[in-house]
Amino acid sequence: MYKTAMLTKDLMAASSKPLLLSILTGGESYGYEIMQKVRELSGGQIEWSDGMLYPVLHRLERDGLIKSEWKQAGTGRERKYYFINSSGRKALKTERQQWLAVHNSLCKLWKIAPVSI
Amino acid sequence: MAGRSQLTVQIMENRPRFDLNNAVESWRKELASLPNLAYDIRRELEAHLQDALTEFQERGLNDEESFWLAARRIGQPQKLSEEFEKAYPCGVWSERIFWMALGIISWQLTLILSTVAKIMLNYLTPGLHPFYQRSGFWFVDAAILIIGVVLAKGWVARSTTSICFFANRFRLALSLTALIILLASTQVGIVRQIGLNRGYDSFVRMGLGAWVSNLLHLTLGYLEYSIAPLILLILFFPPINQKTLGRA
Repeated sequence: MYKTAMLTKDLMAASSKPLLLSILTGGESYGYEIMQKVRELSGGQIEWSDGMLYPVLHRLERDGLIKSEWKQAGTGRERKYYFINSSGRKALKTERQQWLAVHNSLCKLWKIAPVSI
Repeated sequence: MAGRSQLTVQIMENRPRFDLNNAVESWRKELASLPNLAYDIRRELEAHLQDALTEFQERGLNDEESFWLAARRIGQPQKLSEEFEKAYPCGVWSERIFWMALGIISWQLTLILSTVAKIMLNYLTPGLHPFYQRSGFWFVDAAILIIGVVLAKGWVARSTTSICFFANRFRLALSLTALIILLASTQVGIVRQIGLNRGYDSFVRMGLGAWVSNLLHLTLGYLEYSIAPLILLILFFPPINQKTLGRA
């Protein structure tokens, strides 16, 4: 497999919202774990500096799409856990439709099989 | 790789030994010195740093390498601060106002305590030398102030483990208070006027104690009448450009 170039800043900013919301639908999680998942999912192609995750999470929280809570892990280490709420799920649904609409338009142009929305 | 190990050797020669706790502490301080990283955010970032450190250590890297990689992975604190500024346009000010309000409340508390202490002192020591009586018991104010600062310092250190005392918001609150006190101390005429109202006819008669006590009186006036409206102003009109106001 060839390695594609890194995502542009704009694309990264736009995709972070559906990406994080989708990860959180899989259950509550904290920054470090979310970051590992992002790295794992993208095979290293989405390369954020870890710290940049937090302003995005905080913005989602401010917009009322996710909630957070400090909890103590088994090791005694405290971590701030994030979880998605109903408006977050609703927002994700819209995001999903929009992203797939863009995706399908591009697929048609590039003559690749589209996916169902 | 060869270049890097050379560098490591050089570092090892120049520095006696890498201390992870020191490194984390100075990283913490760097974060605390930036304007937009509130305590909660710094705590979160530090948890991330600790997780990354553990991961690298488990992979067999030494303390220094682990710290270097973990800090690098989190990114430049300056850039983080800029990102958080976008996320929280008013975040800095809410915390700043908290410190200011805390400053005023503690000032008021100091005055109440000092009044109570003075009344008790007067009651308990009726035969006290008139010098102390006339001094306005300034030493009581001083003692309460010193005890208050020591307690506050302990409280800040305990409740916010990663804030060093003079860092960030606390520094701003303190510098503002200091500014007011300086401002008041330049008003020698008013201090004298208060003295005259209280029955002293000159600075010499007034003595240092009364002078200090008059100065405190004046400072309170400034705190009450200039800072309180300022806070209301800040509350209702957030500044357009916080970056220029970011540092104390």
